[in-house]
Amino acid sequence: MATVATYVLKKRLTGQKRYPLVLMLEPLFRCNLACAGCGKVQYPPHILKKQLTPEECFSAVEECGAPMVSLPGGEPLLHPQIVEIVNGLVARRKYVYLCTNALELKRRLPEFTPSKYLTFSVHLDGQREHHDFSVCREGGYEIAIEGIQEAVRRGFRVTTNATFFDGTDPNSVRGFFDEVMEMGVEGIVLSPGYSYDKAPDQNHFMGRARVRRLFRAILSNRKPSWKFNMSPLFLEFLMGKRNYECTPWGSPAYNIFGWQRPCYLLQDGYAESFKELMETTKWEEYGVASGNPKCANCMVSCGYEPTAVIEGFGSLRGFWAMVRGSFSSYRDEHALKLLNEPAPHGPSTLVQIAEPAESLEVTNA
Amino acid sequence: MTAEVLKYTREQVEALELAPGTEHERLEGWVPALAGDQDLCQALEKAFDYRGDVTLTLKSGERIEAFIFNRHTGATLTESFVQYFTPTAPEKRKVGYAEIARLEFSGKDRAAGKHWEDWVKAYNEKKAAGEKNIALHPDKLE
Repeated sequence: MATVATYVLKKRLTGQKRYPLVLMLEPLFRCNLACAGCGKVQYPPHILKKQLTPEECFSAVEECGAPMVSLPGGEPLLHPQIVEIVNGLVARRKYVYLCTNALELKRRLPEFTPSKYLTFSVHLDGQREHHDFSVCREGGYEIAIEGIQEAVRRGFRVTTNATFFDGTDPNSVRGFFDEVMEMGVEGIVLSPGYSYDKAPDQNHFMGRARVRRLFRAILSNRKPSWKFNMSPLFLEFLMGKRNYECTPWGSPAYNIFGWQRPCYLLQDGYAESFKELMETTKWEEYGVASGNPKCANCMVSCGYEPTAVIEGFGSLRGFWAMVRGSFSSYRDEHALKLLNEPAPHGPSTLVQIAEPAESLEVTNA
Repeated sequence: MTAEVLKYTREQVEALELAPGTEHERLEGWVPALAGDQDLCQALEKAFDYRGDVTLTLKSGERIEAFIFNRHTGATLTESFVQYFTPTAPEKRKVGYAEIARLEFSGKDRAAGKHWEDWVKAYNEKKAAGEKNIALHPDKLE
């Protein structure tokens, strides 16, 4: 936290308007799961066989300069040189979040060394049946749990990382929070799902009002045992308590194709260098305020958490809000009522809006 | 998605309960007619979005099987190019729009048939048939 705070303050003091917080370094697209709807693995075999070399990873990290590096994919543990990559990033004092489905975690753990700079961010989308259904593999939850428990036992930092889609049962998610905290994980990471252009077709996904209602139900009336490895202000944004714009340059993505424009999810082309990405991307054409339909319903962490972090560390008011949020249980009677509504049973049918919109405050009432 | 959301104001977008999903054209096997510059530009934009290999035939007669991952569009065809990987070469390559005579969406669309709804249907069928350890598996890397 201190590293990020210092980094943000330095950038503000030097008058830098746009700067990265987390580098999304995708060393490969290959995966050992085949989650339906995933937009990251739908490539021809010759692309899936390609991977970044450790040297390419280190160059990207140096070029970008972000204090944190997230290693998503594909499944990073399938990269034959992943240990060398992680060790090189740790040696550079980067806070590394290795995002894994944990199918290989228990087996590979002896190759890694615990460090304050290394966190295994394990993909878990909820309680057993929800996770298995989400990743399209029965038994996936059990294997992931074994990996988490072994990593915790060996002294590694571990977080869980969940994406929630339409049909999520908030009561089950709250039960899931209890379960993972009991396993000894350091914190929970979560985000609403988003159907971006390059992913396989989907009938529909959650609109912003439904996202806010779901996360208000999940995140209000928190138990003291729950810890979130996210900005409290981003969680308030998901709950409808804040209105943020996207900061796509906050989490730049680098992979075998180059520096991805404009963000980790949208693939609107590639730049050869980080400098070129920052200087030539038409940033004003992205984010919900831009009117770009590709961004209209996105509330995903890679775009909005940087906004929250910059607010949190960029002003006294933001910092105070963050501190207050860290210790608040967000008591909310209406959210309790939402939890008592009948549990959803998977994605419902698409209902188009017919009436003029209500305000953010109304949907939050 | 584009056409649907464009109908809405920012306030309406904020109030959306369900947002329209995405639907892609079925391009596998398609050979676009490239009668003019605009046709070529539009077809290459689709090739950039395509989740499979395409075959480019250059005006020199050379045929290139490639996965197009980037495009740069300048003011003219000579200032525009696509970047691609081929199945056999390790490095990124590029070719100018002006050099391209024919485009074929020759490779398999790797995103087709991988919808969430397909999985739900398959899962329910297998469950009803009494199958255990139901799962989707990654495609073989051939």
